[in-house]
Amino acid sequence: MPRYELALILKAMQRPEVAATLKRTVEALMERGAVVRNLENLGERSLPYRIYKHNHDHKKGGYFLVDFDGPPAIVSTMMDHLGRDIDVIRSTILKHPVSKTVACSGIIPVNYEDKLYTKKK
Amino acid sequence: MRTLLRRRRQQLPDGCREGSVGRVMAVTRGWGRLQQILAAGEGSSAVLWRRGYSSQQEQVSCNVDLPVEMENPYKEPPKRCVLCGINVDYKNVQLLSQFISPYTGRIYGRHITGLCAKKQKEISKAIKRAHVIGFMPVAYKDPIFLNDPKICDIRHPE
Repeated sequence: MPRYELALILKAMQRPEVAATLKRTVEALMERGAVVRNLENLGERSLPYRIYKHNHDHKKGGYFLVDFDGPPAIVSTMMDHLGRDIDVIRSTILKHPVSKTVACSGIIPVNYEDKLYTKKK
Repeated sequence: MRTLLRRRRQQLPDGCREGSVGRVMAVTRGWGRLQQILAAGEGSSAVLWRRGYSSQQEQVSCNVDLPVEMENPYKEPPKRCVLCGINVDYKNVQLLSQFISPYTGRIYGRHITGLCAKKQKEISKAIKRAHVIGFMPVAYKDPIFLNDPKICDIRHPE
């Protein structure tokens, strides 16, 4: 099962309400057959721009990151579910960016001479 | 003619026939020359148009002072850009903010950032992602990051 990352921005609420929203979200994920690996809190910050959602103008939000493994079909259903949740301002499901520490060998000098002429195949 | 040639060949030292073919060619002309060369050549290949040159194999065996083929020992290691080996992530807003204009929030081009093609693309993609997901402001640079060290080669007009 591919590994996904859910970048979640919740409305600026009190702690128990935030906990309830997160619990709802994670349960919804598990219902659809996902295995949640990790849940990170990136803190409550002011949003980079005003976001208008569910008849509200939001300026602050709580940032959360959910790491999970799930079937590919989960993506569309989860986005649908999160769109209907009033406490969620913005949600995005991405493929988990596995840290690509590929040994970078530096800038390889481009051979302009080769590029000048079209190669006959 | 042939007696002359034989004498010249005897004078040369054993093993080294450098210049022997050249001398042959200098003396004879035309069809006679061709015959001499074909008869003489044991290691010489395509000598017909190499006037005064003997075969390469003979030269190498005679002369040990010639340069040995090897990889350039003074070769410099390949140039690295600022982000070579650093993982670029859309969550790392501080890193991404170093490559945008503080006034307009526009992404700087490669001639300003000095990054290699791969990293420039990665940064560009990460910045646009961060905009959409709601991590980074679009039209300006977050004021917290304004005093970060300057990587980009740009001078703003006062």
